[in-house]
This record gives sequence, C-alpha cells and structure tokens, in this order.
Amino acid sequence: MNEPGTIDDLLDSRLMAHLDRLDVVSKKIFSGKIHGERRSRRRGQSVEFADFRNYSHGDDLRFVDWNIYARLDRLFLKMFLEEEDLSMVIAVDASASMDFGTPNKMHYARRLAMALGYIGLVNNNRVSLFSFSDDRIERLTGLRGRRRTREMGQWLLNLQPGGTADFAAACRAIALGGQGRGVLLLLSDFLFPDGFEKGLRSIAGRGFDVYALQLLAPDEIDPARHGVLGDLRLVDSESAAEVEVTASSAVVGQYRERLDAHIASLREYCVRRNIAHQVVETSLQLETLLVDYLRRRGLLA
Amino acid sequence: MMVGNPAMLALDWIAPLAGAVIAASTIPPLLALYFLRLRRSRRVVAATMHWRRAAEDVRANAPFQRLRLSLLLLLQLIALGLVALGIAQPQVDLGLGGAEKIAILIDRSGSMGALDGEADGTRLAQAKEQAVERVRALHGGGLFAGPAPSIMVIAFASEATVLCPFTDSAVQAITAIESIEATDESTAIGGGIELARSFAARGGEDGTANLSVPAVLEVYSDGRIADLEGLSLRDGERVVFHRIGGQDSPNVGVGAIAVTRMPESPGEVRVFARVVSWSKSPRQTDLELRVDGRLLAVTPAPMELAAASPDAATGALLPAQTQAVFPGVQVPAGAVVEVRVTAEDRLPADNAARVVAPRLGGLKIALVGRGSFVLRSVIEGMSPASFESFTLDAWNARLAKDPSAPDAFDVVVLEQVAPQSMARGRYLMFGAAPTGTSIVPFGTKQQVLPRSIRSEHPLLQYVNLDDLFVASMTAVAPGSDSDVVVEASEGPMILTLSRGPLTLVYVSFDPLDSDWPFQRSFVNFTANALAWLAAGGLPAAEEPLSPGAVASGRLPAGAQAPSARSSTGMTPPLSLLEGGRFTLGPLRRAGTATLEWQIGSKSATPTSLAFAVNMDCQTEGRLDAADQLQLATNSIAAQPSRAASQSMWPWLLLAAVGVLLLEWWVWLRRT
Repeated sequence: MNEPGTIDDLLDSRLMAHLDRLDVVSKKIFSGKIHGERRSRRRGQSVEFADFRNYSHGDDLRFVDWNIYARLDRLFLKMFLEEEDLSMVIAVDASASMDFGTPNKMHYARRLAMALGYIGLVNNNRVSLFSFSDDRIERLTGLRGRRRTREMGQWLLNLQPGGTADFAAACRAIALGGQGRGVLLLLSDFLFPDGFEKGLRSIAGRGFDVYALQLLAPDEIDPARHGVLGDLRLVDSESAAEVEVTASSAVVGQYRERLDAHIASLREYCVRRNIAHQVVETSLQLETLLVDYLRRRGLLA
Repeated sequence: MMVGNPAMLALDWIAPLAGAVIAASTIPPLLALYFLRLRRSRRVVAATMHWRRAAEDVRANAPFQRLRLSLLLLLQLIALGLVALGIAQPQVDLGLGGAEKIAILIDRSGSMGALDGEADGTRLAQAKEQAVERVRALHGGGLFAGPAPSIMVIAFASEATVLCPFTDSAVQAITAIESIEATDESTAIGGGIELARSFAARGGEDGTANLSVPAVLEVYSDGRIADLEGLSLRDGERVVFHRIGGQDSPNVGVGAIAVTRMPESPGEVRVFARVVSWSKSPRQTDLELRVDGRLLAVTPAPMELAAASPDAATGALLPAQTQAVFPGVQVPAGAVVEVRVTAEDRLPADNAARVVAPRLGGLKIALVGRGSFVLRSVIEGMSPASFESFTLDAWNARLAKDPSAPDAFDVVVLEQVAPQSMARGRYLMFGAAPTGTSIVPFGTKQQVLPRSIRSEHPLLQYVNLDDLFVASMTAVAPGSDSDVVVEASEGPMILTLSRGPLTLVYVSFDPLDSDWPFQRSFVNFTANALAWLAAGGLPAAEEPLSPGAVASGRLPAGAQAPSARSSTGMTPPLSLLEGGRFTLGPLRRAGTATLEWQIGSKSATPTSLAFAVNMDCQTEGRLDAADQLQLATNSIAAQPSRAASQSMWPWLLLAAVGVLLLEWWVWLRRT
C-alpha cells in the first residue's frame, strides 16, 4: 500500500459509495449539543413519540395534542424523543511504530480514519480527530457535514508518524477534550512500552462508547513468512533500542506467543471495561473491514 | 584387463594432506566464530519488546546456542571447503589413482616430426610439453604432497632408449624428457615396453619400489606404431595412450629412389623415384632432381597423385603411389642424387630421398677355383666390367710373376681354394681357409646353423640368414684383425679381415655344402660383399640407409684425421675402432652424412664418403593420428589431448571466489 498523497487516495469514490449507506451506531444514547439524526435521552422534536405531559405555561403550542384536548378538554403536550447529533472521536496513533509494515500501518490508519470520519460527517455527526505521538497531540474538532470531508482528509494527509507515543497522556487529553460523550475510535497498534492499561482506564470511565482497533501488519503477526529469519539486529522504531536476535523457528514461535498474549491481554482488558476490541491486519481490505467486520461488531449499521 | 579409457576418469590428489590441514584448521574456527559472534543483519521493527522477551525466553531455556542452518554460514562453509579442496590439488586423472610407477614412453619417430602440433610446432614438441606437464602435475604438491609415483622416461623410435630410470625426482624426469631429440626413424614400441617392464621389476634407484606393482605405461604418440599387433599387455598392466597429432594431415613424400648407370653411357645415370601420397584427396606435385645440391631437372608437368584409399581386402589405408624417371643425367661417382617433391605438407623430412651415385662402370672380378655354376651366374648377373676365371695354379703362377696382380681386379673371388699368397688384394673367399693370415683353421664342423648375426653390417643388408643350414663348415679361429659378422656355435661363419693392403671377406663354408644358393640372401650377400670389397672395405654407400642405421667400415690404410658431418647440421657420432674400423651413427635424421679423411700430408685434399639416409615414407609418412592402439589382444583408446591430468585447483579457487561474492551479496541484501 503506497503512502496516500491525495484525498482520493484516502477515500476513493467507489468506497465512498459504499460508505454513504452506513451510519455509526452507538450502543449508548448520548445527549448531543444540537439536533441531530440520533435518538437522544432528551425529549425533543423528532417524529418518534415518547410520552405526554401536562401543558405548562410557555410550552410550544405546536406540540399540544389537540385531539386529546378535544376529548378530555385538557391540554397535554406531546413529547417526542429528541434526535441529537453524535460525537464521534477518532484517535490515531502517530507514533513511529505505526510507520511500519507492509501494508504500512499508518497508511492504513489514515484511510480507516478517513472512511469512519466520512461516515460520521455524512450522517451529520460531530466528528473530532486526534493524533498523538511523543507528547504532542494534534486535533481537528467540530467537524460536521459532508462538506468538511476535504478538511478532514487534508488533516489526515498531514499526519507525520514519528516519536514515541504517550498513550496515557493522549487518552487523558481526549477524555478531557470536551468533545462530549460519544463514540471513541482508537486506531493504534497498542504496542506501547509503558502499556495500554493506564490510557484505556482514563477513557473507560468517561462514558465513551470505545472501540479499540488494533492495527497490526502481517510482518508483525507472522514474521517468519515475511523474511524475518536468521541472525538479526532488530532496531526499535521508536526508541532505536537494538536487540540481537537469532530468529530461529523457536524464537519466532516464542515471539508469536508473546504477541498473542499481548493481544489477549488487551482484549481481556477491553472486555472488562466494556470496550470493543478488534485486531485489524493491514492486509485486510478496508471495505471488508468496514462493511463486514465493523458492522458485525455493531459500530456501523 | 584394465586399459586406458576416457570413461574411467578418477580424481587424483596431489596434496591431500595440505587440504585436510587447511580444512581442519579453518572450518572449526569458522563454526566457533558463529557460536561466539554472529554477523547479524540490521532490521527495523515496530517494537522490539516481544522479540526481546522471546529471545530471552529461548536463551534461558537453552544452555548452548544451537548451530542453525544459516545461508551465510552455509556459503562460507562451501567457500572454505572449496579452498581446502583446491589446496589439496585434485586433478582429473585417467584411472591411475594410486599408481606407484609410471613409465612415460615418448614416440620420437619420423612421423612425430609432422608440423601439426600446437603453434605449428612438431608433434614431438607437443608430446614433450604434455609429458612435462604430466610430470609436474604428478609431483606438484609441494610440502604437503602425498607420495608421488616414480617416473621413468623412455624415448622410442626404431629402438627404445631409457633416458631416465624410475626416479622420484621430477627435475630429473623433466630434464630427460626435454633432452629427447627428434629422429626420422620408423616406430616400434615393443622394446620400450620391455624396458619399462624390466626396470619396473628391478625397482627404483634406491631399490625400494614395490616390485609386485607393474608400471603404468603412458604413451605419447600419434599411434602409428609398426609392431603393435605383436604386443599384448600383462595382467595388471595399464596403458594410457596420449594421442598426439591431428586426424587430417596430408602428406606427400618420396617413397623410394634408385640410380643406375646407363650401360651405353657410364657417365650418365637414370634416376627412378616413387612418389607416395597419404593425402585423402588427390594432389599434384613437381619433382626436382638435385645432384650435390644443384638443381638439375624438374618434371616437365606436375605429377598427379590419386587419393589414398583403403585396401579392399583388409580395409587398411594404402597410399597412392606413382613413379617418375629422370633419364640421362650426368652424375659423377659418389655424388649425392636427391629427388624432392615440391608439394607443401606437414612432414618435410620425407619430401626428399637421396642416394649416392654408383661408381662408373661395373667391377673387375676374377674368379679363382672351380668356378661353380652358382657363383658364376651370380657374378655374371651383376654385369661386371670384366670377369675372368682362373684355376688355382694359374692364379698362383700369375702371383708369382706379379705379386700385385690382385690389384688389377676390384675383387678376387676364391672358391674352395687358398692361393699361396694373400698379402694384398680384395678377396671374397668361400670354403678353404686363407693362408698367411691370422685366421687359423682347426678342422671341420657338421650341420651348422648361424647363431649370432650382425644384421646391421653392410654385408648383410637385405640378407636374411634365418633359414641357412650348412652341412659342413671349416672351423676357424679369427685373429685380432678379424671382424666376425656371422657366427655359429662352432665358430665364425662369415668374417672380414683387413690388414694393410689386404681386405678379405671369408665365408667358412662352401655354398654348395649348404642350402644358401637356393635363397635370395645368397645373391644379395654376394653383391654386398663385392661392392663392399670394391669400395676398399667401406660400406656400399650407394645403398641408402634407413634412419637409425649405423654405417660401419674400415678406413683405407693411411687415412688420417677422419671427421663426420651431416646435412642436418649435427655432427653424427663417429667411433674409430682398432684396425682402422669405424662406425658412424646411428644416423637418426634423414639427409646425408659424410665421412672425410686425408691420406698423406695434412694439406692433401680430403677424401669423402657420403651416406644417404632416407625416411621410410611408406610407414612414417602416414600422419593421421590413430584413435587407439590396437594391440594383439587389447585396444587402448586415445585420451583427449591434455585431459590426462587436468588440474582442478584453479577452478575450485575460482568457485570459492564466486561463492564468497555470492555470500557478500546475500549479506548486503540482508543488511
């Protein structure tokens, strides 16, 4: 997968046509800031009836149920479920470890973020984008509507991977970012030297409907099949630390066990905190991921 | 029986110990280096945390690092192995691995002078070069070399000569090979094989050779060897045939030459020549006639020569032949008459044949004795200038009147009589023992067969005495001035004597007491004896010699400062023996050899006697090298040129360099 250079590279028209039919679904119902296309706990102005209440002075006469008034001679006000906008936060790990693999994890994350953001924008949700690397957190917030697609795409194109991710700090910043509660999509490989627990913990308590999409390249999942064999000096892309490894079948097998344990521990941690976790191999077609995998997981409908 | 065969290639090791030492001293350290410090390729990964833990886990569970099959290690081991093999100096051999003794037999016959060797050199030069390479390969191992075989060097043509007995010194063998000189002789290898066998059975110089192992015979030849059909190999004997020369080497030569004086004009001769072509296509050539080097005549039109063709019955290739005659050429006695073909070919030596012009006119011969029909007819058949018969009494009377009477004849033939005086003259004597000489008779012997025959003596040219049976012979004891030519167990049968003005050929039996008159050899012997005596005891120089022959004779009384020279520029060996006898030769090259001497003062004009030596174009003129040596019971296929001992070490080292380059490339790709 080549590095996307244009917005079309991030989201082509064919995929766009598929995405137009999708919407982001939240397992939780959040109160939005403005009227949107999503049910809200608030009673509002949607067409979906919720309840009646006695009319009180100052209520909007348009919502008085005149049929009941005719029968009972009392004023009742019809209450409808408020349809509010959904806050959709997409956080992209832009650390150096993401700039790795074939297909490249960062390229894949950009395209995935673009696709998810597009779905949010098309459905009039409030879309916010975060990226984090080193102690720097980039953000693009308050996007709404299809016309902000280009702006979002340009922001994603400008993302430059590098440095070491401080996942905990990034999560804390997102949680306190005032974007409102909503769907939080974490696009990362979750290969944080300091662990992922602290970061996820800071998010889990904030009422987000969190999706942890763990991006891993095929080289990482099965290194032996991709030429990682023999006597190697492995260099950490983030810390530049070197490890001398003789990648025998035993060592590679041990690595696979370590990686599987890491994935399993992340999944267990997420399940315990009601966070959806999905491992995404970057060789997977984006369309398949969106239309098949994420729909099955309930993120998209 | 094992013979040389191209399919039986084997690998011979010149220095196996060196290769083993190198392998033993380098491969384990290489493996140790892999244990101690691996050369790792650098690779960036997203995160190393899982790798570090994985490696720690494996390392923690393994007390020693197991040797893994690494491509780089494999390539390095291969390169090292190739270097070790190269240092061991393997060479493709001809199934001679383990040979303890190798006899190198190099053909130096006339056909080996053909100019179709490498860079237009002669075949002999090519054979010597290959043989030297072979010796160097066998002894090229240096300090760590295994035991090299002992090498013997034999050169063979009409006869074989040991140039170097079995030796462990490569220098000695190479020096012997390089000392081989070309000849124009015919080819016979039987003597060489016998020499090799006897030397192999005798052991090496130090007597330590294994006598039970026969020598391997490596023959460098064009394969045109006359006596092959009479040879066979013994058990365990191996022969390797290194074929020298090409398959198509057209050759035209002069096969025979003869000169006869014209009876009507004794000053002129008629020259007959037979031209032989071994070319497989028709040829044309002119013939030149030279006398003492001066061009006298050329054939008026080019001679047409058909192509050599196989014999219908045997299938053997036969040369095309044609005759030429030069009539009426004025030639003095003793001049060298040469006929030369002008066609260009690969073998110059047989392009000319020479003969010494016979003396003017016939001989003056006197026959004393009974004058038997046999002897008389032989002498009369030789067309003598004069032929007189005497009884013994008449001859004695003539001697009494004039002691120098014998000088009036070129030869006096005595048949069963002994004149009262034999102080001077040239006699051919049959039967009765001579008087007044050192020859002492002591009775008669019955039923005598010849036992020792000096077939190289001029008297016995074209004389075969194998079937001679003598019923009764005068037993004589030869004196110190006698030279026995044919001897029986009972005493000399034919001898010569030369003392001052007396020259005698004595046949100790009456031909009529034997079956000799019924054999062709009697006529030839009589003619040889008359010519020899007429020449004053010198050889019958008019007959051309074959290369390798030794001219012998007796210098005239008073001859001083004899010397010899050859038309090839080399000085033929001249040996002076007692009684003025000499041997000249062997005359190995075609051409003329001239013996000169002076009589009287040193300022006197030297007298010379020329000997013509001609190559046998019928046998040596065939130049297409044979595919195999066809012995009586064995067939030995020719080895390809230079394939006998192809050194492998340059290729192995080249391969090692290639593998190292590949390893470097792989290493670069990984890093």
